[in-house]
Amino acid sequence: MAHQPSSVPIERELDIVTARQKGRELAARLGFSSTDQTLLATAISELARNIVAYAGSGRIELSQVEEPGRRGIEIVALDAGPGIADVELALKDGYSTGNSLGVGLPGARRLMDDFELRSKLGVGTTVTAKKWLR
Amino acid sequence: MHSVDPSPIQHLMREMGIDEASVEYRKRIVGIEARDLERIGAVRELVVQNAERLTSSFFDYLAGLEEGRALSGDRVVLARARELKREHLVAMVQGNYGLEYARQRLELALLYNRVGLDLRVFLAAFHHLLERAGEILTRHSGLAPLEGFETFMSLKKVAFFDIGLIVDAIVFERERLIRQQQSAIRELSTPVLQIRDRMLLLPIIGVIDTARARLVTESLLRAIRDNRAKVVVMDITGVATIDSRVANHLIQTVTAARLMGASVIVTGLSAEVAQSLVALGIDLTKLNTVGDLQGGIEEAERSLGYQVLQRERPAIARGE
Repeated sequence: MAHQPSSVPIERELDIVTARQKGRELAARLGFSSTDQTLLATAISELARNIVAYAGSGRIELSQVEEPGRRGIEIVALDAGPGIADVELALKDGYSTGNSLGVGLPGARRLMDDFELRSKLGVGTTVTAKKWLR
Repeated sequence: MHSVDPSPIQHLMREMGIDEASVEYRKRIVGIEARDLERIGAVRELVVQNAERLTSSFFDYLAGLEEGRALSGDRVVLARARELKREHLVAMVQGNYGLEYARQRLELALLYNRVGLDLRVFLAAFHHLLERAGEILTRHSGLAPLEGFETFMSLKKVAFFDIGLIVDAIVFERERLIRQQQSAIRELSTPVLQIRDRMLLLPIIGVIDTARARLVTESLLRAIRDNRAKVVVMDITGVATIDSRVANHLIQTVTAARLMGASVIVTGLSAEVAQSLVALGIDLTKLNTVGDLQGGIEEAERSLGYQVLQRERPAIARGE
């Protein structure tokens, strides 16, 4: 029960807000502190923004994850965009191919506990990130 | 410089993005092909001869419906609508479904919209007209049943192409009101308030997207100029999430204000937002931040040389 992952299509700036709100709701339901809710919402915001800015469209999936001894939230950000040529570089602070601060991906990584980025040129990008309940 | 105001239809076409390419695409969607044009060409004369009758079938049907009264009640509009409908029927069988054809359909759509004709009523009447057209084809075209059916289907493709345009135009016009209201709400949601001479307050509440950020910056800069403001207190208590993009917007707004000669004090940054900004690695140390709104206003007053004095304890504080 209540493990139903929710999937938010990301196509426009407005969708970012929806994804963020869904994340906040889920985090509140699982008992995350208000600070962690905000950190999570900010991470979702960064990942969703990257989808809009670089891939045009994609989706954010939010679900509850459980491992022995801990519970948390998993964010999966998927797109079928151009992909990232140099993943390591993209995760470096201050690097941006767009006109941004270049903190989106590295920032999102710092906001979350686990962070995995897989990308293939011409195929798309998937970011899987987790935050555990403290 | 403004160019000469184009006709409302040209304007609508531009807004809706209807050009040669999009009209071609619409034709492809309904599947109008060379074969269809041939079939329609074969019954062109028959349809043109019956254009008046078919036009009447459309308007008589409308007149018989309560919802159709909007159109049939206004004589001038009705006459124009009849004229356009008749032209429509003749154009439907000419085989040229280009930009000019689309323009004529939109003209009719605008007219329907002006009198508030319900879409379902329009669709019912148009279907009724097509039924009559089918009857005429079957009885008078001299085509074999299968050929007659195929010809009717070709004509129907054109009809659906038309419906697509008309429905899109009517919906677009109705949504215009929503768009206007949205922009009005946006305008209202970014007030810039003068609280003292040369001192402004800019409360930001809710979600800051790119469009709103631009509006905030614009109205702030305008207010700084109009009020010759020196200090601005920007309160972001009501912003729940600040990601790198929003932070960037805020920094740019503050920088632009500074260029206009006003310094900005940012207040109301919550502990949660502060932590996420630090985690994101965004350097906001260049911003002058003060804990809460009251503190921000006090600092702004100090910097302008104001001194607020309480002359005596007010009655309310003395408990009288």
